[in-house]
Amino acid sequence: MANGTWKIARNRSGAQLPIALLAALAIALILIGKAQNPIFDRARTTVTDWASPVLRIARAPLDGLDRWMGSIGEIFSVYQENLRLKDENARLRQWRNAAVALEDRVKRYQLLLRAVPDPKLSSVMARVIGRSNQPFLQTMILDAGKAHGVKPGQAVIDQRGMIGRIFLAGNYTSWVILLTDLNSRIPVHIEPGNMQAIMAGDNSGAPALDLLSQRVVLKPGAQVISSGDGSLLPPGLAIGTVVGDPASGYRVALLADPGASDDVNIVDFKLKTEQPPATTANELPATAAGLPPAAPPQPAPVAAPFTSAAAPVKAPPAAPTSPPANPASGASEPPASDTGNE
Amino acid sequence: MERAANIMAGRFISSIVPVACAIVGVVIANFPISILGGLVPPALLVFMPLYFWAMVRPDLMTPFWAFVLGILQDLLSGGPAGVWAASFLAAYFLIDRQRDMLAGLSGVGAVAGFAVASLTACLTAYVIVAIYYWHLPPAAPMLLQLAMTVLLYIPGAILLGLVHRRLVGPYRSDF
Repeated sequence: MANGTWKIARNRSGAQLPIALLAALAIALILIGKAQNPIFDRARTTVTDWASPVLRIARAPLDGLDRWMGSIGEIFSVYQENLRLKDENARLRQWRNAAVALEDRVKRYQLLLRAVPDPKLSSVMARVIGRSNQPFLQTMILDAGKAHGVKPGQAVIDQRGMIGRIFLAGNYTSWVILLTDLNSRIPVHIEPGNMQAIMAGDNSGAPALDLLSQRVVLKPGAQVISSGDGSLLPPGLAIGTVVGDPASGYRVALLADPGASDDVNIVDFKLKTEQPPATTANELPATAAGLPPAAPPQPAPVAAPFTSAAAPVKAPPAAPTSPPANPASGASEPPASDTGNE
Repeated sequence: MERAANIMAGRFISSIVPVACAIVGVVIANFPISILGGLVPPALLVFMPLYFWAMVRPDLMTPFWAFVLGILQDLLSGGPAGVWAASFLAAYFLIDRQRDMLAGLSGVGAVAGFAVASLTACLTAYVIVAIYYWHLPPAAPMLLQLAMTVLLYIPGAILLGLVHRRLVGPYRSDF
């Protein structure tokens, strides 16, 4: 490091571009990048696609070391952690029984109310082949890309909850922006209370909650789930629990641990337009009123009004028989009778 | 004739070694596999050869190469394009202005000189990112990266000095 002993070549290169010109070029690149130019992203995914076999091979031997080093701080609290997990496990068993009973009850209610079912989600399983923990970006690289149906914006979850979103998809690899990242902002619901908020990452371990209503006071431990607003993410994905207080600001303790996840699911969510159940002939208003359905239009213009006008006259006698077989009228009644049964 | 060819080949190798070392640094630092469980951000390995040869052989480590290495760092780190390019140029400007003073430092002073140049690069990146996202990012990860970079410069400078003496060498007219 005795720099003084080296001779310095000063200003001998006549081909140097001025620093100011290059700095202007760099600033132009930043501005172009801000305008969502895909060239840089494409180059990035191409590099990752190309390097993915190397990443897969290199990752295997380093996985164990990575985990060991990552958990080195927990070595001294293993005993307390074990006690805490046992306690939590006992409580979760109780909650599981309650959840199973409630799930069954909700299913019955949905059946009775003929509720529109939630859209089906399909998912692609992927393996984490890289993690990048840069000061301004926290990402994961997965070994699934466009060839597997992965698209930017899709949610990435592990067994515990949501990890992040796909923000770049190459042919065989994809980049995940973690929920903790500075660029991550997703709409969430807080239960109980059905409160809406935006969860914003700031590169700390627990993302901040920007509540849409300033007067709301949250209880620590309240559940945070994805709201599905904006149709970007599926609603109801488990994310974490509320921590903090109004003075210091609410934050979310995430359920998922991106540092420990090896296999993840990329959820393919495409919000379909909500469709009510198809209407049958028995659910027509005329039928519900005890009248027979209107006859199809006749080709002869003179005969048609006469036929249709005659139909209601004959209808009343049929009225007593039609309601029992009419599920449409039952759509409002059965809940009352069934609720009575319960 | 053969001697002239050897000299040309030697010159070519010595001219690409600084940039090659920096490229290796970019690739290693941004290889998306952590061996520390993500506890600390990776060091700015690319900045070590950049600083070293911008100081002792600015004819081989030009502002153009600082720009290209910054773009590579942006590309592989996943951040917005141009952030590290602008940051490295800011640090290069400092090195260019204070070359005599920085090159005259030795021991702890040399490390301190590198720390100042690294701080310039990191601070520029921090300010650009804060403006880019219009949000102040936490300073701790950047400071950790800076600390890791400065810490690794101690063995790094020894290694770079060895490469410089064996492969690059001073400018020929300095002999």
